[in-house]
Amino acid sequence: MSSLQGYVDKRVLLVLQDGRSIVGIMAGYDQKSNVVLSDSKERVYSMEEGVEEVPLGLYLVKGDMIILIGEIDENIDQAVDLSTIHAEPLPPIRH
Amino acid sequence: MDPSSSGIQEPFDLIRLSLSERVFVKLRGDREMTGILHAYDGHMNLIMSDVEETITIVDTESPEGSNVSVAKRKMDMLFVRGDGVILVSPPSRS
Amino acid sequence: MLIFSVFKTLTDQQVIVELKNDLSITGVLKSVDQFLNIRLDNIKVLDEARHPHMMAVKNCFIRGSVVRYVQLPAEHVDTQLLEDATRREAQNPNKR
Repeated sequence: MSSLQGYVDKRVLLVLQDGRSIVGIMAGYDQKSNVVLSDSKERVYSMEEGVEEVPLGLYLVKGDMIILIGEIDENIDQAVDLSTIHAEPLPPIRH
Repeated sequence: MDPSSSGIQEPFDLIRLSLSERVFVKLRGDREMTGILHAYDGHMNLIMSDVEETITIVDTESPEGSNVSVAKRKMDMLFVRGDGVILVSPPSRS
Repeated sequence: MLIFSVFKTLTDQQVIVELKNDLSITGVLKSVDQFLNIRLDNIKVLDEARHPHMMAVKNCFIRGSVVRYVQLPAEHVDTQLLEDATRREAQNPNKR
């Protein structure tokens, strides 16, 4: 398994099958790549308004739902003013 | 005809005999491509070179009823995941 | 197994992964596993203006099952070797 170990305790972005983006600290994961995030927030994208962050707290995401896990570079992330970002949500996966 | 004389006993043999030849591949999502086949496996994962992909886009919103357009693009060397493959067709031998 | 091996020979090469949500991500291939899950380093989303979601992401893990295509560096793919290996694997259907 191309391991997720390197992402533990890091701030990560999860992209889900339905196109949602969730950021948080990766607290842990298991063999099926189920992931537990702490201090997590969903980033809701829209063209009309800037990105809205909805707090989710401690969150368990099923591995099947996750299409991508990315390590967030804190310096870049903090330099971005999310309220100025206007974008469509990512499209859902169509198999 | 004796099937063994052609070297074809099972469906995958048809793909095996198309190695290093240009094949036509139909894919999910209204996509088709041709390319030179270099590798495949039992999942129908493919590796092809000199690929031309054609995507058919049907625009049902258009005022003149449904409008069909095609988008083409070329790629040098491509891995195609097998779960998207609908059919692989060998080159036409004319 | 064959395709897995091919990807392993391409580690540290630049690839473009296209997902089944039409997102294309370019980056350096760092590792693959038997499910063809992919780890990419130094990534960039191709249409970043339209998809700014991953602006602050430098490396990522992509689930194999959501990959549509991977564009490979042709100069690092030995096509003759691939065809020979494919014929060999087709002959003994040991562990597909």
